[in-house]
Amino acid sequence: MDIVLCLKQVPDVDDIKWTKENNLDRSLMLSKLNPCDEFAIETAVKLKQALKDVSITAISMGPENAKEVLNYAAAKGADRAILLSDKAFAASDTLVTSKILASAIKKFIPNFSLVLTGQMAQDGDTAQVPVSLAQYLDIPDVTCASDIVCESANISVVQKTGSIMNFWEINMSCLVALNDECKEKTFPKINDYIRAQSLNIEVYGLDDIGLDKNEVGIIGSPTRVYRAFRPENKKNTAEISSDFAKFMFEQINKVKK
Amino acid sequence: MNKIIVYCERDDINTLRNVSYELLSKARSLKNEAKRLIKDYDIEIEAISIGASLDEDCIKKAYASGADKFTFIKDDSLNDFCQTIYSRVFVEYFNTSPSDIILFPATVKGRILAPRITTLLNTGLVADCIELEIILKDDDIKLASTRPTFGAQLMATIISKSSPQCATVRENVFKAEFDFNNCGKYFEYLPCRYEETRMKIIKTVQNKICNDVDFSSAKIIFAGGYGLYDGTSNYYEKLKKIAENTCSKYGATRKVVDFNLAPSNLQIGQTGVSVEPELYVAFGISGAIQHIMGMKNSKKIIAVNTDSNAQIFQYSDYKIVADAREIIDELYDLVL
Repeated sequence: MDIVLCLKQVPDVDDIKWTKENNLDRSLMLSKLNPCDEFAIETAVKLKQALKDVSITAISMGPENAKEVLNYAAAKGADRAILLSDKAFAASDTLVTSKILASAIKKFIPNFSLVLTGQMAQDGDTAQVPVSLAQYLDIPDVTCASDIVCESANISVVQKTGSIMNFWEINMSCLVALNDECKEKTFPKINDYIRAQSLNIEVYGLDDIGLDKNEVGIIGSPTRVYRAFRPENKKNTAEISSDFAKFMFEQINKVKK
Repeated sequence: MNKIIVYCERDDINTLRNVSYELLSKARSLKNEAKRLIKDYDIEIEAISIGASLDEDCIKKAYASGADKFTFIKDDSLNDFCQTIYSRVFVEYFNTSPSDIILFPATVKGRILAPRITTLLNTGLVADCIELEIILKDDDIKLASTRPTFGAQLMATIISKSSPQCATVRENVFKAEFDFNNCGKYFEYLPCRYEETRMKIIKTVQNKICNDVDFSSAKIIFAGGYGLYDGTSNYYEKLKKIAENTCSKYGATRKVVDFNLAPSNLQIGQTGVSVEPELYVAFGISGAIQHIMGMKNSKKIIAVNTDSNAQIFQYSDYKIVADAREIIDELYDLVL
């Protein structure tokens, strides 16, 4: 069984650096694996351990640096790694990103049974790519997933939305987008990293996936940023400098009356 | 034909979710804005819903909130939501009667359905918007949609060069305004019947434990973040006791719940519950956007954090830079 594992390297949103002009200073920001994707990796590895003949292909679109997340996936258990990297891909929106991923999956992993993704990327936070990718691949999808059980040609997926839990049964091929509820993260050991180093990351560009330059990147993307700004703090925040507990106690009593 | 379509999500009892009326009201204000920018520019507003049957009062409310036309894509097989089928019947109808703009609710279902539809239509989609404007660009009317990005630390206004221009819009952002003198026309569209045999729900469970804490009646809520963690759950227990002794409620952040320091029914935030008490006291919470979204509408917010740059302070009325655990110790002695 071929599992496709879609990963994204994102800037750390907890560590945002700003320029004097209030723009994001990406050069100073650290990159990391998108948090939801960690759970997608764990799930893929879990399936590989439970079933026979599972091959995991980790795939990511991004610059050369994004090899880091592919190496990490390899250390955790991915058997193959593909980086989609081309200057022409830069500034692709969700529609075009999905199109690029779908083209590459159809071409390089044509016999896939299951596509696993994170629910959303922490930087853009659109949650649109998994759904759009499923549409391009013409397969059913379950999003907001928290667990997968796999048996023969069917898989069962637990979907959590608010206080409702749905138990789905889907035929393969299908896509499952996993939410970041990864509570038991396992860490690769040194030997795993050494083994991962011997894995050759396949790198493909525009010509390899058979799309035209006018279909991708900033040219091919229908949506574009018209303006960007930092939200203003509309609150008049007063700083309390002493007697904190007493101040709080007074505020509590005020409301209680 | 200039037209805005608003996709109206139906719930289990065949009424429309309130966000439908919010979006129709907003569409009406966009229509008026366009008229101001270009004289005699008229936009038709069409509400579309999909299903087997629909409560009639909802259709009247749709007209009252701005719809000029209501189209119900109707078939007995469409009673249960299924994204692969709903997207196909929507696109089938859309191709007979296209529009320039489509607005979807950014609900769980809306965010599963909308990307399928826009992918089929090969057009752009802006996710989870909190503001919509009509702007004049190159002598043309354009939809400009604003959304939070980078954990809501940056706002981006996005326009689409493809047609239709589409956006999913968050619930409870715009106000539904009703004028029951406004009338519209009702149409039914009977689509081809599609079958989805590849996926089915085998069981649905309403997690009751998640509902048994009634935050809505609480005047005061004390919330604990990961900053209270000292290797034990001592400070979460202490905070809970403070809440109990002040007739208040106790809540926690997602990280605290994820680390099993508090049960999931206490989680406040986008994936937990949203609260609006008179007083919200945040202890050791840095202010991840998921949490902010669930508490920012509280009347008064006091936040305690050791990091004076913590994001939570941007949303607070009172800022206390201190170790939250020390304050809990003192407060504990005051209230117990």
